Amino acid sequence: MRSRSRRWGTALVAAPAILALAAATACTAVDDEEDVTAGVGVTEEPCPDAVNADNGCIYLGVLSDLEGGPFAELGAQIQQGQLAFWRSVNEDGGIAGYDVDISRYTRNTAYSVDQHATEYQDIEPHVLALAMSLGTPQTESVLASMDSSNLVAVPGSWWSGLHFDDADRGLILESGYSYCTESVIGLDWFSEEYGTPETLLTVGYPGDYGSDSAVGATRWAEANDVEVLAQIDTAPNAMVQNQDAAVEQILSQQPDVVLIATAPGEAAEIVAKAVSRGYDGRFLGSVPTWNPRLLETAAIGALTARYNHVGPWQGWDGDSAALSAIRESLDGRLPDNQGYIFGWVWSYPLKSLLEAAADDGELSRSALRAAIDGLEVDYEGALPNRTFGEPPAFDEMSATISVPDAEVELGTRAIADGVTATTEVEYDAPCVQP
Amino acid sequence: MIELLDTIVRGTGLGALYALIAIGFVIIFRATGVLNFAQPIFMIFGTYMSYLVAVQWGLPFPVAVVIAVCAGALVAMACERVALRPMVGRPPFSAALVTVGLFAAGLVVTTKLIGHGVITSGDPWGLSNFCLGGERREMAVAITGVPAACDGGVSIAHTDLAKIIAATLAIAALGWWLTRSRYGLAMRATASDPEVAMAQGISAGKVFALSWGIAGAFAALAGVLLGTAPGGVAALGALIALKAIPAIIVGGLDSVKGAVVGGLIVGLSEALTKTYQPGIAPWLGSNFDIVMPYLIMLVVLMIRPQGLFGTKEVQRV
Repeated sequence: MRSRSRRWGTALVAAPAILALAAATACTAVDDEEDVTAGVGVTEEPCPDAVNADNGCIYLGVLSDLEGGPFAELGAQIQQGQLAFWRSVNEDGGIAGYDVDISRYTRNTAYSVDQHATEYQDIEPHVLALAMSLGTPQTESVLASMDSSNLVAVPGSWWSGLHFDDADRGLILESGYSYCTESVIGLDWFSEEYGTPETLLTVGYPGDYGSDSAVGATRWAEANDVEVLAQIDTAPNAMVQNQDAAVEQILSQQPDVVLIATAPGEAAEIVAKAVSRGYDGRFLGSVPTWNPRLLETAAIGALTARYNHVGPWQGWDGDSAALSAIRESLDGRLPDNQGYIFGWVWSYPLKSLLEAAADDGELSRSALRAAIDGLEVDYEGALPNRTFGEPPAFDEMSATISVPDAEVELGTRAIADGVTATTEVEYDAPCVQP
Repeated sequence: MIELLDTIVRGTGLGALYALIAIGFVIIFRATGVLNFAQPIFMIFGTYMSYLVAVQWGLPFPVAVVIAVCAGALVAMACERVALRPMVGRPPFSAALVTVGLFAAGLVVTTKLIGHGVITSGDPWGLSNFCLGGERREMAVAITGVPAACDGGVSIAHTDLAKIIAATLAIAALGWWLTRSRYGLAMRATASDPEVAMAQGISAGKVFALSWGIAGAFAALAGVLLGTAPGGVAALGALIALKAIPAIIVGGLDSVKGAVVGGLIVGLSEALTKTYQPGIAPWLGSNFDIVMPYLIMLVVLMIRPQGLFGTKEVQRV
């Protein structure tokens, strides 16, 4: 009897508490959406072709080489990967009551600095952030304006300067290693696999790509008492007709290993010609040196035998949740090249940033910029998770080493995943200025 | 010595390629007085057609060559009919500007066709080569598609040999045709004096179309040979054809023989510079071979403004 009355008493006390808690929770849910202050590039109207018709819209800009430039093949696939990534975000409900649109303000820059700047001026007043700014010199050309506008961007580049706030003004959400550290990681892996080389040689395009890669190789060589025989600056075949100059130097110097930082066709030519004329060493190729179309060329035998591709994260055959999601997004189809993966993986930090800013109640440019410091990004296993706000720890940068394999989709098979550097080199500033 | 011979073989192969493109420039210039800047488009179109027929359709390479050359000729003749024929009677400079427009438009079209990757001609040679005066090195592990290195001898790539033989045959056939056929005679007559030729009943329109067709065919053949590069060719490889401009300036704008000699000079100078300049004169910097043909052109222009085999222009005052 006493116990029954006690239960009733408890129920009488608890019921309003439960109701109050439920009401509070409901209010909070509503407030989460209503309390987010929207800035430039955020509208209450739904996106064009919105996945969620009741959501508002976050507009992100894209400045990329989609046609006519040297990286158009990669750029077009990066764009497809990013479109798929944000579509999946929208299908999961979007971000804080908003869908994300990266189509409306997509512009082709053809990898031209001038065109990049012109298109930037066109889209800048309408976007919350840049989902892609492809090319280091191109991004650098508008960085001052981005700084004054607090416009955050995802880069289409692995220049080492993007790891340091002094160079990128803390506006760039880079992912993975840099060309500079890629060389260090690649050469450490090479030493582990084939023994420490006595000599090495670098071939690449001068500037933020080839020179960055070459500086990394030089620093690794200094730390390991290895001789750098030459740093060969070359150019695309459209300018120099063929890569015979580089091949001649490789043959005359006979290094143990050659690091290549060129476009795929040029890299394939260097490997094929050098090997067919008697060069016995091996080649390490930077991220952009591989393209599945090389499987159709006469170089494929030499590439398969003597070339390793160094990638910033897992390739198509990766087993992470990120790669599973990427493969699912294509319903069994294949992308034209690895650019699709790049586009997807590069998008994780911006998604985390939008969520962090929304959690803080403000989706504006300044709020996004403020949220970078301390931002935690989960790459779903494609890369180790990272906290932004300081340069990434050198020993946490990792690479995937692959070999060409015609039997594997996209033509490369991973032979080592999550490879990190064992050599300590100086890395507290950009390795090279573009 | 072996290195020098290797370089000369490669340079001659490159020169043969330039000569084929340069002849196209010269044939059109002689017939119409116009410098055709659209030649690079016909060249890369030839690469694409060969890729389409040999790689995509799987037909034999010789069939691909014939189709590519014919297609190059037809496209060039169509361009002449549509864009250049209305320019007859206008200053050559205006017509040359039209060809610049053709080049720009053609580059967009060929980029669409080829895409942004690399393509090959689907040639049968790959990396194979002859080893003259030397021995094949023992390979610990054989590499598919890669011949053993040639030790102590001259290595002649089959692709270089193909370039030299194809260019020689094509140029010889053109020379024979120009001197022995009615149409060849008509072309030469039109080249020397169009008005007198027309008064004799020669159709200038036919001659113009024919000259563009020949130029297109030669450029397409050069494109097929360009597509034998081991790493393939990108759409922007079309720009390589512009190397024929210093070749025709060196040889003479209106001389077929000059085009051949100029092409060979440019090809050899590039190859020799690539091989020896980094060791002999590293202070000249990287990729100095790009500059070399233009330096030679400058020297020739100062000594013989009409080129080595060009017709000297006489102005009576």
